[in-house]
Amino acid sequence: MFYNSLFENSLKILPIFLFLLFVTPVILILSSLFYGYSENWFHLYNYVLSEYVINSIFLIIGVSFFVVLIGVLSSWLVTYYNFAGKSFFEWALILPLAVPPYILAYTFTEIFDTYGSANILLNNIFLLDDKKVFFPNIRNIYGAIAVFSFTLYPYVYLISRMAFINQSISIIEAGRVLGLSRVGAFFKLSIPLIRPAIFAGLALVIMETLSDFGAVEHFAIATFTTGIFRTWYGMYDLNTAMQLASLLLIFVTVFLVIERLSRKKASFVSSNSLYKKYNIIKLRGFKNFFAMLFCFTPIFMGFILPITELLNWTINYKLDFFNIDFLESSFNSLLLAIIAALLCTMISFLINFSARFQGNKFLSFLSSTLMLGYAVPGLILAIGITQLLTFLDNHFEFFKFNFILTGSLIGLIIAYIIKSYALSNSTIEASFQRVSSSLDDVSKTLNISGIKLMYKIHFPLVKTGLLTSVLLVGSEVIKELPATLILRPFNFETLAVSAYNYASEERMYEAAAPSIAIVIVGLLPIIILSRMIKSSRPGEALW
Amino acid sequence: MRYFNKLFFVTLLLFILPYQSFASEVNVYTSRHYDSDEVIYEDFTNLTGIKVNIISGKGKALMERLRLEGKNSPADLFITSDAGNLWKIQKDGMFREILSEKIVKTVPDSARGPNNEWVGITKRSRVIFYNPEKVKDIEIMNITYEDLADPKWEGRLVVRSSGNIYNQSLVASLISRIGIQRTEKWAKGIVKNFARKPQGNDRSQILAVANGEADIAIANTYYIGLMLSGEKGIDQKKAAEKVSMILPGQADGGTHINISGVGILKNAPNPSNAEKLIEYLLTDKVQKYIVDNTYEYPIKSNIMPSKIIAKFGTNFKTDETYASDFGKYNSEAVRLMDRAGWR
Repeated sequence: MFYNSLFENSLKILPIFLFLLFVTPVILILSSLFYGYSENWFHLYNYVLSEYVINSIFLIIGVSFFVVLIGVLSSWLVTYYNFAGKSFFEWALILPLAVPPYILAYTFTEIFDTYGSANILLNNIFLLDDKKVFFPNIRNIYGAIAVFSFTLYPYVYLISRMAFINQSISIIEAGRVLGLSRVGAFFKLSIPLIRPAIFAGLALVIMETLSDFGAVEHFAIATFTTGIFRTWYGMYDLNTAMQLASLLLIFVTVFLVIERLSRKKASFVSSNSLYKKYNIIKLRGFKNFFAMLFCFTPIFMGFILPITELLNWTINYKLDFFNIDFLESSFNSLLLAIIAALLCTMISFLINFSARFQGNKFLSFLSSTLMLGYAVPGLILAIGITQLLTFLDNHFEFFKFNFILTGSLIGLIIAYIIKSYALSNSTIEASFQRVSSSLDDVSKTLNISGIKLMYKIHFPLVKTGLLTSVLLVGSEVIKELPATLILRPFNFETLAVSAYNYASEERMYEAAAPSIAIVIVGLLPIIILSRMIKSSRPGEALW
Repeated sequence: MRYFNKLFFVTLLLFILPYQSFASEVNVYTSRHYDSDEVIYEDFTNLTGIKVNIISGKGKALMERLRLEGKNSPADLFITSDAGNLWKIQKDGMFREILSEKIVKTVPDSARGPNNEWVGITKRSRVIFYNPEKVKDIEIMNITYEDLADPKWEGRLVVRSSGNIYNQSLVASLISRIGIQRTEKWAKGIVKNFARKPQGNDRSQILAVANGEADIAIANTYYIGLMLSGEKGIDQKKAAEKVSMILPGQADGGTHINISGVGILKNAPNPSNAEKLIEYLLTDKVQKYIVDNTYEYPIKSNIMPSKIIAKFGTNFKTDETYASDFGKYNSEAVRLMDRAGWR
């Protein structure tokens, strides 16, 4: 009993303290709005701002359409149908997660450009002189939409698959009994029921698209984020850049609030939580082929194609990367990814649990604010985090010896948690929404509360969400760059840093080896976790 | 619980250890990331016993970290491949004057800070590439940067986006030399002459000339070095061989150059080691090693650039605009290109 009340009390205070710390960088960025406005604003408004906004919105609309199409349909197919290669697709559809958008942008350019591999290959096959160009120019906004769609759809795929797996089949069956066709049941019942999940995934995709700099910069598309960096790098005006980033945040907030309001009244919880086994339907003939093609295309474009090209460069140009340094960077990447993924998942689980259990509005507010961190362009957020850490360093001498957060691994892990909290919170929040609140009430009548309720009831029910969260945060941390670059200790390399060191000078051939390494290191956890996710439907044994 | 505490402190120590300082070291923040740079640092350590600690990252982000760390910053040296960044740190008073005669005498005036706050290590020049089948000798001979705005190049010119620092420095140097109004008119002319919307890197501009998409391109010299060296594959080498290069501005202000440079920070914990490292970077051996690997130009006039680059000419007139002006006019250059519609 003592532990229980201690637990509940610390549940109230600790998270708020922790969150105030974590939210600070986002607040610091937003606070730029209250500083002065430089004359650069006139310039931005008169010449470029409208173009930034239009391009960004067009980009988001295009990417949203494709990620929902690919993510939802493929997760529906692999959950409810059996077709050739299904057990491969189940986990392989996540693979593009290991490829950062800017790497795909560089690779696509090198493949489809005039002197790119694809054109040269076709010219060689058809014995043409090497002037013929087969592929359309990829370096434009349509190319960017393709790049983001093929690298980011796994967010939607993972979260909607999680929802499909845990969907009560009874509702679908009732719909079918009442005369809905299979497709009708999909559109009228399955999709609306997992809408929160789709939006959670979509929100992540939108935030990541908005915050990306590498890919759009390479394609020379004037988006809001390229504008932010142009203002900072080109006009030496960090404050205006932060104000622009704040506007981006406000835009994302409005989007999230509208979505939240639109589903406020609706409940997405099945009251009986009957998790009976669903029938998996076997597809034959054309349907079998199309299902296979539909799932294969995004894996091919987002993973197989770029990886083949990267492997090709690695073997031809930079095989010597795989030495002792490589082992060290891989170890660093993995260690950071595991620690950050576990911590971040734990924190969001506790937050969501206590928000549900106590209805603490302030905490929910802090939690949503922290989620916004994901929409801030990485480097701007990294600056916010550096401001926080250097402030702590300069004002609190923790110990007698040289304890400094900036440039320490602790600082890095704090940065990762701030950066990827949105990933774990949105997955876990989506899982909690699927747990019927009547379960909590029943538990209370049985005198199960606090830590016991969390451990015995909620933990098993949101297991899929927890695993998905570990997966998403882990793969994010392995790829994470801006914060790592600016906050890491001396002589400390991660795989992403090695890849960046070359890619930033646009020496993609040399960047290929570390990029491949990111994939190799990221692959193992992806496969393990996706197996665990598959078997995580309540009532089924792990493995 | 006691075990937990022990474990906690051991972990804490592990985290802190990499940060502890050693007797003889020099801490470098750099935005250059070449394998050849690492070889140089290793060699320096072998020679002097001074350990070189590196954090590499984007120039502007490192500068912000330097600023925020303030007096706590462990950094001794800041190395960047853009003179504008050097100027900004100098302006904010974060560099200390370099006193070593050896260093100051080696580096020419235009490649140093006004009070020797920083010095250049290598030079990069921004030049014109053209397709000799489509461009007549008479058209291109003695060409200047200003000539590129001439209507005769309409639909024939490619250059990367204005977000790129090389373009910003070029435009800043023009502002410094011919003033804002003339430069803006020039930029508008350039935009009219575009064969396509700016995109890709310098290498893609050269490739666009090779495959006939455009007749002339503005790009840095070392990209052609990389392509011709065969490091980028046989196809790119073949493409690069179709292209000629000319050093513009020989008839007027000289060819535009930007520098990679280095400065010692005001709060540097190891300033004398820092000076030693700069001196080392300016030795003949190291200068030659750098330019042979990166295809840049050496800052010392007695060193020859790599053979591939040297064949385009070594004894040419360079634009003597002070590199610090690039920083001074950089934001003006960006706004000017925005106004001209150069994206």
